[in-house]
Amino acid sequence: MKTNLRKNSKAIIVLTVIAVFLFVAARGMSGKDVLITVLRGFSIGSVTFLVAAGFSLIFGLLDVLNLAQGTLYMIGAYVGWTVYVRPDTFVDLLTPILLILAGFAFSALWGRLAGLVKLAPKPRKTIAWLLILVGFGLLAVVLTRYPIAKWDLDVYTESPITYSYMADQGMRIIPAEVAFDRISPFLALAGLLLTSAISAFGIALLNRDENRSKSITWRKLLVPGILLLVGILAAVFNSRITSWMFNMSTNLLFVIAILIAVLSGVGLGALMETTLIRPLYNRPIYQLMLTLGLGTIGLQIVQAVWGRPEFVFPKPEFFIGTGGACPATNIRDLFANHCSTILLLGGRVRVYDEIFIPIVGIIVLILVWILLKRSRIGMIIRAGVQDRQMVEALGINVRRVFTLVFALGVGLAAFGGALAASSSGLTPTMGERLLLSALIALAIGGLTSFPGAALGSLLVGLIQQFMIKYGQIGIPLPFTDAVFKPSPPLVPASTVLLMVVVLLILPHGLLGTKE
Amino acid sequence: MSNILEVKNIHSFINQYHILQDVDFVVPKGSITALLGRNGAGKTTTLKSILGLAIVREGKIIFQGIEVQGMQPFEIAALGIGFVPEHRAIFRDLSVEENLKIAERNKGDLESKSAFIFDLFPDLKKFLNLRGTELSGGQQQMLAIARALVADNSLLLIDEPSEGLAPVIIEHMINVIRQLSKQSTVVLVEQNFLVASKLAEYFVIIEEGKSVASGLMKDLEADKAMIHRYLGAA
Repeated sequence: MKTNLRKNSKAIIVLTVIAVFLFVAARGMSGKDVLITVLRGFSIGSVTFLVAAGFSLIFGLLDVLNLAQGTLYMIGAYVGWTVYVRPDTFVDLLTPILLILAGFAFSALWGRLAGLVKLAPKPRKTIAWLLILVGFGLLAVVLTRYPIAKWDLDVYTESPITYSYMADQGMRIIPAEVAFDRISPFLALAGLLLTSAISAFGIALLNRDENRSKSITWRKLLVPGILLLVGILAAVFNSRITSWMFNMSTNLLFVIAILIAVLSGVGLGALMETTLIRPLYNRPIYQLMLTLGLGTIGLQIVQAVWGRPEFVFPKPEFFIGTGGACPATNIRDLFANHCSTILLLGGRVRVYDEIFIPIVGIIVLILVWILLKRSRIGMIIRAGVQDRQMVEALGINVRRVFTLVFALGVGLAAFGGALAASSSGLTPTMGERLLLSALIALAIGGLTSFPGAALGSLLVGLIQQFMIKYGQIGIPLPFTDAVFKPSPPLVPASTVLLMVVVLLILPHGLLGTKE
Repeated sequence: MSNILEVKNIHSFINQYHILQDVDFVVPKGSITALLGRNGAGKTTTLKSILGLAIVREGKIIFQGIEVQGMQPFEIAALGIGFVPEHRAIFRDLSVEENLKIAERNKGDLESKSAFIFDLFPDLKKFLNLRGTELSGGQQQMLAIARALVADNSLLLIDEPSEGLAPVIIEHMINVIRQLSKQSTVVLVEQNFLVASKLAEYFVIIEEGKSVASGLMKDLEADKAMIHRYLGAA
């Protein structure tokens, strides 16, 4: 204990100074202002933490700075919104996505078949690329003809803004279904499966040596089988699932929306790592350019699909109660009336933004902590951060763990986006701001330290919120009558200032260790 | 006696550096074979090549009848090769128990081997909850060897086991490796010729990336000229 104190004396002093600083800042406010400011700080801190934690996990094990993390956070928000506000679009999309995944997921089968093809390397390569091109080309044709109900950015009454508004008002009307008119349903389903299978087979032809000797077991066919089945079922029962989702409790729908957002983040992360990041493991500069570029591409795609204007992600019914009994004065009333606000110390506290989000943030912190400290995967991650080669020399497939960690990190960011969208709204720029906050939080807390990510995020959130609050009430300057009101641009600047001060004293951040 | 490992004329690279330029030897099953040579001769790279941690561009490595060159390191290790690297490579963020547990290839490996392991290294049992790096150098070396014993490994690659250890502890370690060799074949890299000659039945001398001599250890011990020529000391 004593040596620990001495070793971390600088960090303890800095933390104490920050705590005193925050305490002094809090003394200048009334009790309810302090409470609300601190809760908001926790809320912003939680969302920042979700992005920063993913960032730190990925950087710690893979040494990759994933600058697309902000965009992936934003994509999580937009995916969640789509499932929540337009379940019909989601159900329409489900079939093509699952069938394409199924086509690729039969990889064991394709690998085995490719192993049977006896060809000289050169024609084999040519044929493989030809199959890949033809497969993807036909896939594009089928996809563009596949009917998907969607909003229309150019028509105001059918824009995301309008649908958001309607959902917010509780008007959950099922939009008109789009019929199979440019392609027959059977051809569409078969086409999706077949074209992705052709592409996957082409890819299998390219990696000649892999998979050949491996046998096909039922377990390897189980996952693609399930994907295929669910995809077809989603197509057959399309309108029934849609109306079921439109009529379900918005609480349940909200949970589903968040889950799908996380899953899409995990999927995107796995795809990114296996296809794009993996070839660049020893080239950090290329990784930076790649992830930065991917972030920009993602941003443009989101703008093209969902449009630039800001719109809201309506809150589920649990958090929007109003009326005579609201704001709630105690927890029991809160649960009985589902109030959107609760009175604490005489101040109105928003339940979703200022209580629910921080609680979720803390739960995620604990869960990831348990994953890292208690599970075998966590053990491999902690060991791999230090010495990748030795872990591999023990017979552990570190690559698979890499993919998993990357997927998990991106999933966390997507989770943060979907969670935050209900409180902050959706805009294509939401990711950039948060990426910056998350990076600052990591610099403050220590880049590879997971508790550091949490501490840094919390500090960033608190300082931002205190600055915003003082922007409203002003700081009376000593010995004068003047009142200083920090202007909004000082809010992000204050976090940067904190980072500079911390890094000057502790170059590795508060909880970081020397490399 | 059959050979568990055959290294056939390999050329290996670490990054772009051509380190091994024709290394060739066999390891008889159940033996202890010592790789000898001066610093930087390529002994450690030879061990890394066997495990796939160094890139083998030419030649073949055959382990239990399987050509392993070009395979992923984790696949090679999973065939039954345990690795004790130089400087031990204990995971500092893991407890002693976790350092052992991470080497499990099947659930319950550690449990079934624990009697054997703690019989060899009674010290480790006392320190299960300490961080790996809170151990002394000798204990870390024991932990590194113990880690290679958790899974069923028929071949152990041990790099510089005596490095930086006190003479008493070296003595203990020699006994441990002798006991191990009753169950697994051992390939040993050793700077300390006295230690190597006490342990090994066979030797391979590597000089500037080439294997220049190999044979029975007792023949080498008798050949003072050769020892002087290749190892500098006698």
